[in-house]
Amino acid sequence: MSDRKWLQVCAPIAVGIAIILVWHALVVVNELPPYIVPSPFLVMKTLAQDWGLLSGSLLVTLQVTGAALAIAVVLGVALSILFVQSRLIEASLLPYAVILQVTPLVAIAPLIIIWVDEPRTALVICATVASIFPVIANTTIGLRSVDPALLDLFRMYGASRMQTLIRLRIPSATPYFFAGLRVAAALALIGAVVAEFVAGTGGTQSGLAYQILMAGLQLNIPRLFAALILITLTGIALFLLVTALARMSLRRWHESELPQER
Amino acid sequence: MNSQAIAVEVRAAAKVFANGVRALDPIDLVVREGEIVTLVGPSGCGKSTLLRLIAGLVQPSAGRIGLSPEARSAGLAFVFQNPTLMPWASVERNVRLPLDLCGAERVRAQDKVGHALELVGLNDYARFHPRELSGGMQMRASIARALVTGPRLLLMDEPFGALDEITRNRLDRDLSELCARENLTVLYVTHSIYEAVFLSSRVLVMSARPGRIFQEVAIDEPQPRRDAFRITEKFGRLSAGLSGMLSAATYEVRA
Repeated sequence: MSDRKWLQVCAPIAVGIAIILVWHALVVVNELPPYIVPSPFLVMKTLAQDWGLLSGSLLVTLQVTGAALAIAVVLGVALSILFVQSRLIEASLLPYAVILQVTPLVAIAPLIIIWVDEPRTALVICATVASIFPVIANTTIGLRSVDPALLDLFRMYGASRMQTLIRLRIPSATPYFFAGLRVAAALALIGAVVAEFVAGTGGTQSGLAYQILMAGLQLNIPRLFAALILITLTGIALFLLVTALARMSLRRWHESELPQER
Repeated sequence: MNSQAIAVEVRAAAKVFANGVRALDPIDLVVREGEIVTLVGPSGCGKSTLLRLIAGLVQPSAGRIGLSPEARSAGLAFVFQNPTLMPWASVERNVRLPLDLCGAERVRAQDKVGHALELVGLNDYARFHPRELSGGMQMRASIARALVTGPRLLLMDEPFGALDEITRNRLDRDLSELCARENLTVLYVTHSIYEAVFLSSRVLVMSARPGRIFQEVAIDEPQPRRDAFRITEKFGRLSAGLSGMLSAATYEVRA
């Protein structure tokens, strides 16, 4: 690793350590009780102590987010492909995708939870609704952003619609798709958490948001913080995963992933 | 001119676009097999439109465009202003595209790709991505892709316009050799008078919008052309003459 890369890794870690130390110092100096602000070390201890409970919830949240994101990608890409087949289809369906996007999830979630019996399915639907739009919007623009000269070339060699789609439109759309996926991944997690807050379902099958809700009601603030940290880490892990995927598929050709040389 | 058979015949073809722009006034043009014909003219005179009409990318509003059975069956190929390569695919896969699109058999396609890359001197770069090549090499890859189907007729729309002069001169020389060796018929659009004189058996000067053919100059010099041709007195004379005609064609309409 070069010096610059070391700096990029070490600098944020140093800031993180500094924040934790200041946080701890403030808690100790002001003698704040743990039910208002717990010290970071107490949060770590709680995370370890409650790992059995919290890891189960983490798994649930991960499953809901993962399933929702997978459905958003498959359905979103399929819809985008449908949209670019004809302007009429796009004009007919896009407004409803926009309506779905602009209506706040907290407003739709109760309905979905009432209509769908199986709680897990309801959560997945909510998170899918939250995350599908960036996939559709970006992929559609990508599928249309094809070099017109390349399109002429394909036409001249008698390419079928299918060949043009697979060999030209889809590769052209990949960078746009990944830009959408990055946003969608974050929204899927937010969607899963929000839906769970609204659903408020208890029992062993509950995710991290439910743990936060319960910990708040019981004034178990250290556990609330521990669950919050797990959600944040999940979000970061998702972001890194999508970034790595984008780098893997665009590394050799797209401007966004080329190494910068000075 | 090794043959007198007609490769391209344009009769009174004209183009008016849907927005009312008259891109091309009725125009007549004949290109014989083995000829290298260059179109020069002011910007917007319809040179590219004419080329696209012949390629079948645009339909004429009037008139008729005929291609020889040979050019139609063995095919024509178009080389664009830019390399127009797929950035996500290797040079090899870019060159193979026309064969892939018509479902050619893999092994034979690979042979043809190898041959086309050899013709333009890019064998060692088959696995490179377009981004990893210089502008001149990208253009060579683009020409290899045009040649891979074994066309008889090449339509080239300012292919080397964006390159530096040294690279352009070298590509012009290589193209001249290639055309003579493969007995290709070429219709070539350019802004460069020197390029037109160097490459062509005939130069057609077009006038400003709406375009029509203003004058025709035969370049009587054996093909393929050598670099030495550039420093002859004849080359200078022809270039100067053509330059005069081009300004006349450019200002004729306004006068």
